[in-house]
Amino acid sequence: MKRKYYLRTHFYSSFCKLLRETKIAILIILASVSIVSGAITEFQQLAITGRVTSLKGDPLTGVNVLIKGTTIGAITDMNGRYTINVPDRNGIIVFSFIGYVTQEVPANGRSSVDAQLSEALTSLNEVVVTALGIKREAKTLGYATAVVNQGLLTENRTATAIGTLQGKVSGVNITSFGTGPNGATRIRIRGNSAFSGANLPLLVINGVPMDNTRFSEGSTDLGDGLNSINPDDVESMTVLKGAAAAALYGSRAKDGVIMITTRSGNVTKGFGVTYNVNYTTETAIDYTDFQYEYGQGERGIRPTTAWPTSGVWSFGEKIIPGMTQVLFNNETVPYVAVTTKERYKEFYRMGQNLTNTISFSNSGENGGFDLSIGNTKNTAIIEKSDFTRRNITLGFTQNISKWINVSGNVNYSNEYYKNAPMGVGNQSAPVNTIATMANTMPLSMMEKYYQDPITGKELIWSRFLPRVNPYFIVNNWFDNNKRDRVLGNIAIKFNVTKDIYIQGRIAQDFYSRRHDYNSPTGRLDAQAAPAGYVDGSYNRINNTFRERNYDILIGAKHKFGDIGVNITAGGNQMFRSMESEYQSAQDFIQPGLYTIMNGRQKTASHDLTERAVNSIYGAAEVSYKDYLFLNGTARNDWFSTLSPANRSILYPSVTASFIFSEAFQGLPKWLSFGKLRLSYAEVGDDNVGAYSNIQFYSINSNLFAGPGGSVPVGGYSSGTIANPNLRPLSVAEIEGGIDLRLFDNRVGFDFAIYHKLTTNQIVSATTSQASGFSSQLINVGESVSKGFESSIQVSPVETSSFTWTINANVSYNTSEVLKLGLSDKDTVITVNSVYQIVGRPLGQLYYYMQKTDADGNMIFDKNSGYAVRSSSRVNVGTCLPTWFGGITNTFNYKGVILSALIDFKLGKNYVSNFGANHDYWRHGKHKGTLPGRDVGYVIGKGVNPDGSVNQTQAQVQPYYENFTGNGIEDPFVKNAGFWKLRQVSLGYDFVKFLPKLQFIKGLKLSIVSNNVAILKKWVPNMDPEDIFTFDDTSLTGNVSGYPSTRSLGFNLNVKF
Amino acid sequence: MKKFKKAKIMKRFKNYMTGLLIAALLIMSCDKDFDEINTSKTAFVSLDPAFKLNRAIINLMEMGSRVQQLQITHWLTSPFGSSLAGVNYSQFVPSMQEFPWSSFYPSSVVTTVDIVNQTKDDATRTNLYNAARIWKAYTFMILTDTYGDVPYSEAGKGYLEQIIKPVYDTQESIYTDILKELDEASAALDPAKTKISGEILYGGDVTKWKRFGYSLLMRAAMRLSKVDAAKAKTYVAKAVAGGMMQSNADNAKLLRNPEYPSPIGTEISGNEKANYYATKYFVEFLKATNDPRIGSWLHRYVGAANATQQTTSRRTKDPAVAKGMPLGYNDVTIASTFTAEGVVSLYDYSQFDWLVVFTNSSPQWYCTYSQTQLLLAEAIVRGWTTGDAAASYSNAVKADLERMADLGTTAAIPGAAVTAYVAANPLVVGNELKQIGEQYWVASIPNGFEGWSNFRRTGYPQLVPNPYPASEIPGEFIRRHVYPDRESVANNENLQAAIGRQGGATNCKMNGRVWWDKL
Repeated sequence: MKRKYYLRTHFYSSFCKLLRETKIAILIILASVSIVSGAITEFQQLAITGRVTSLKGDPLTGVNVLIKGTTIGAITDMNGRYTINVPDRNGIIVFSFIGYVTQEVPANGRSSVDAQLSEALTSLNEVVVTALGIKREAKTLGYATAVVNQGLLTENRTATAIGTLQGKVSGVNITSFGTGPNGATRIRIRGNSAFSGANLPLLVINGVPMDNTRFSEGSTDLGDGLNSINPDDVESMTVLKGAAAAALYGSRAKDGVIMITTRSGNVTKGFGVTYNVNYTTETAIDYTDFQYEYGQGERGIRPTTAWPTSGVWSFGEKIIPGMTQVLFNNETVPYVAVTTKERYKEFYRMGQNLTNTISFSNSGENGGFDLSIGNTKNTAIIEKSDFTRRNITLGFTQNISKWINVSGNVNYSNEYYKNAPMGVGNQSAPVNTIATMANTMPLSMMEKYYQDPITGKELIWSRFLPRVNPYFIVNNWFDNNKRDRVLGNIAIKFNVTKDIYIQGRIAQDFYSRRHDYNSPTGRLDAQAAPAGYVDGSYNRINNTFRERNYDILIGAKHKFGDIGVNITAGGNQMFRSMESEYQSAQDFIQPGLYTIMNGRQKTASHDLTERAVNSIYGAAEVSYKDYLFLNGTARNDWFSTLSPANRSILYPSVTASFIFSEAFQGLPKWLSFGKLRLSYAEVGDDNVGAYSNIQFYSINSNLFAGPGGSVPVGGYSSGTIANPNLRPLSVAEIEGGIDLRLFDNRVGFDFAIYHKLTTNQIVSATTSQASGFSSQLINVGESVSKGFESSIQVSPVETSSFTWTINANVSYNTSEVLKLGLSDKDTVITVNSVYQIVGRPLGQLYYYMQKTDADGNMIFDKNSGYAVRSSSRVNVGTCLPTWFGGITNTFNYKGVILSALIDFKLGKNYVSNFGANHDYWRHGKHKGTLPGRDVGYVIGKGVNPDGSVNQTQAQVQPYYENFTGNGIEDPFVKNAGFWKLRQVSLGYDFVKFLPKLQFIKGLKLSIVSNNVAILKKWVPNMDPEDIFTFDDTSLTGNVSGYPSTRSLGFNLNVKF
Repeated sequence: MKKFKKAKIMKRFKNYMTGLLIAALLIMSCDKDFDEINTSKTAFVSLDPAFKLNRAIINLMEMGSRVQQLQITHWLTSPFGSSLAGVNYSQFVPSMQEFPWSSFYPSSVVTTVDIVNQTKDDATRTNLYNAARIWKAYTFMILTDTYGDVPYSEAGKGYLEQIIKPVYDTQESIYTDILKELDEASAALDPAKTKISGEILYGGDVTKWKRFGYSLLMRAAMRLSKVDAAKAKTYVAKAVAGGMMQSNADNAKLLRNPEYPSPIGTEISGNEKANYYATKYFVEFLKATNDPRIGSWLHRYVGAANATQQTTSRRTKDPAVAKGMPLGYNDVTIASTFTAEGVVSLYDYSQFDWLVVFTNSSPQWYCTYSQTQLLLAEAIVRGWTTGDAAASYSNAVKADLERMADLGTTAAIPGAAVTAYVAANPLVVGNELKQIGEQYWVASIPNGFEGWSNFRRTGYPQLVPNPYPASEIPGEFIRRHVYPDRESVANNENLQAAIGRQGGATNCKMNGRVWWDKL
């Protein structure tokens, strides 16, 4: 177990600061202390031995073991073992260790006493990696951070490193897309700082900003930058939540920072090998509650002749046992409904995720390295879809001389995402077709008749042609998404004196991505190709991304009596470029050969964007008597993308941390620790796109063959009005917080409250299309986010063999729009599919609903009997959650650890906008479409426009179709909140059962299940988290995309 | 600490500080390169205006959501609901109302405004400048014919003048300006000056552009027949004097190809090919005079029981067996018509031939010689100009039958058949306006906007409103589009002012009338 720790006592602190977490030195000194102690005591030689471990079973090295009321003590060794010699075996043994809750165990005459220590919420002297990689003691920080260490990451493994944070860190809202284990992740810290854009925190890997661009093709989610990281390489993650924490990142700090540190071989001493295998299975979960009373067909008639085309409609006849239906080429089959569960079982396979990681590390006096090789293979629940990743990660640190240290990290990844599952935005996605297909359609028939064996053309099954037979897609479609990525940095640090250092660093994130995919020949919905060609298309996209950072940092500290000063200053030069090449071919000469050269019509484009930001920054910390800390930072950024007048922007911050439990004497004994913190910071967003100052033109790919010859066609390239005076938005945040530990650290409580004002937001304001453009970028927006985060840790039961720990966190956030335009009249804009309205929370949803009269009666058309749509859109709330959090219960019985996480998101509405319930409804699978089928008509309960009671008999199928066709959203507006049993894990370290072979130091097995169950939800037929949109401004919809999956698996960690 | 060591440290420290200072200075002075970094290496900062005009020309396509203008005028229909429901059932579907607004403004309008702005002072490109003015006027004609008052004087200036909420001009003032623009621009076109090279409608032929401009002027003038006869007469005279189209060779026609497919052809020959049918009225109308165009436009899959039975062996273009689909039914209730009509299923009705005449390579006509001759005949009948109305009528009918050759050899009508038909169907005194209106309707296929506008203006042909039981406008026709919903957010103040002065929400519904469409 790797753990950075500092001993608190004055005697050792200087050693710690000087030598940096050199366990050996500490051990030597402690050992000598214990020898000396031993020498002074009586010479009775009764020995007590034992082993001290963490709750997770890791041996704890350096634990102070003391007989209460005496000076008899010892320190645990590398394997957590200790031996003390005592006059008698009846004393109380006190185990204390920094970062852990102190435990007292009566010896009761035993010769062997083991102990398991539970972790304190945050160790008081814990060192936290803060912005720019500057290490600072947690107690000095005037803002909230959260550190997640490796133990939590590997044992509660999710497919991405970030997924592990879900529900566990206050203020951090994480949603995985409903697109499988390699889909992108939506991360929001403290709500939505801006009402346009993605509000995604900056990702920093080993001090290097990492591009987290999410790629997608149509509705196929190809994952984001996190796909490049092997979760098993991650040593720790730090979340910088607020502006003050992230202030040194200036223009990139708007949404906080997630800093990921991969292993770099500076912890374990000597040579070590770790092998980790993680295996999980994924099973599709059925959340549907469909009607199975009426089967395939339309207008109450089941298919009875060859080649029926009702395929996706379940508006057929009432199912009576023994009935038959005719499908495809005159096949008579039983007219029996198939449940979604059965259908999922038939169509989807069990997904499997396997990651093997082996790492070698060596470490000595002057440095060390950690080399890890990882291989990941994830097979999706859909046939032919899988993800492969190979990682080589090298981290090293070396003291070249007493003064110079060289360190670096290189993370190489090779990723191949094959046939990433199509999302439902694509009408032809198999996931969509499977979910919407008529309930009596047997999949075996679909598989048998998916294409004409001679021509290869899809066979008709539904008159709704875009819904392509899923077997046709699975067998003919391909999508290859490959990436090679090298992310790394090399730093040289000169320790000028023990208090002054200068560090220079060069870092780069580089990747090359190659993506190609087809639209297969023979789809029924394809446009016929001209004579001599077959239909279909093929596309190739190449991206090259590079971000280079050069930075320099100088640090100096000094103590003047009670006052300590710590100053850091530096500069950074950032250059980023993204080059994209795109080629496509439409229609082919040679069937089945998907190449550009085989195409009839070819398209090509090439795009290069470049940007640079130069920065200088500095930080100064003043401390008084180790209980009052004041901190100020400033960063100035210069942007290439802004006009010279707007180019330079300053980002300042001030923070204060006051440890009142140290400052005042005579505080109650139960108060172990208490800290107040306060901060103010201004940060920004690097959100002005390159070249956004000019309105460019573009030329179509192909010439137009006109009467005068073939000539170019062109015009404005963008529907957005260019604005040369754009500036980045700015965020000003005030944060206050308190950190309390009570009852000898058995209760820990952390609370933060914040007020975040975002001004100068660049609004892609909706313009009248009559202006010729659909939007205009303007710096007008103001919004405020307010909220609090709290977390509490309690250990209600703590005995030597059983402990129960509760970790709970809850966060509340509301974000409100303050200003949207230059004048007070500008109170509404639409950004993508949401409305931003002055004085209202962000992300308002407006939909047409059924019209009602003054008394609230539903209005139905007198002629048709259909629901009448409201004359204007109706507000149905916001699409963003206001409350979220999680509760983790951990039980440890003699080293067997059982942990369960329940998380929740509450307080939002959304509409089942595109797929899912919309489709289930219009295709007659939704239970809400049953009324009226028995009699063959529906009489809507309500009134006609003239006020008379509605008595019109509407035909069943058109009555229901009218809701989706006319966009009346009443049946679909649902609260998207939920309570989920997110994760259950069970772990044990088996090392104690092994013969005392010296070479195996740990053998830890954990079993994990993710997405175990939904405890409460309000949306029918689907997982409310099944959301496909990345942006906060299009969070209105959801899709019946990739079904939610439940994963079950194990993680085996072996240390040699 | 030893003294010399301290000195060494200080020296080292000084060196590092100097290095740091240099580095900091480098960083700060480096924004010199910023202008170069922020200059795109791949984008166009300017473009030949002729290429822009091409985009504007291509954009003006006769296709709404689901080819709705073709359904309003009862050329074709679909019995299907769900995503096809709307105009075929005379029902209001918001997304279908947004076309042409959402398509024309961001493309043809903004582009022609940009070209006019770019070339207005360029003496070397006066012909291009005037062609763009004509195209701009034509674009706005369709927009105002569809919506009534629309943004005109401030439209398309989002970038040039940063106007993002343009005011709505009255249709009357828009027509006043369109007439002026068409007149001035057509007059200013000068074949002696530089050709409009690189242009796709006429290959740069200035004479043809001039005739097109005057033909549009005739069209615009006649649009005012009910509301301002005097002005109509004035501009008809200018159009006649200026010189209109003289034959099918002058037709404003856009050739389509798979690279630039015909949207209407793509719609009808693609996904929905089994879902659109010729109306009974259309088939009966052509059959009544043994019109050979029936065989050019239509085909039928005789005896097809479902979509998959629409196979080559069943296909026929024989006018004698053509069967049009009656209006007022959905895909189930239509079954009640099968016996009477002599078909086995709805798939057995005649369709616009999506193998030949409505494919993605089918041409589109913006304005034809035939339409122009019919308007001329009407103007003569109304006494607004002089000439031989009967001759113009016959020219028009003949030209439209000959136009079928543009649809390919299988659609072309033999010369003898053309002559015979024209001879057999002369203009009859006392029945002129009806005959002219009906022929204009046939001659406008597949230009839905023009067919719809002329039907609203003249009342010909005398169609019967779609009797669909759940029609939202029982007994009435769709006479205008409702303003796009988006305007109520993005430009509400101007929108409300426009609605207010046009008779309020009551008149701004589908069955409301625009200014020139007087009762």
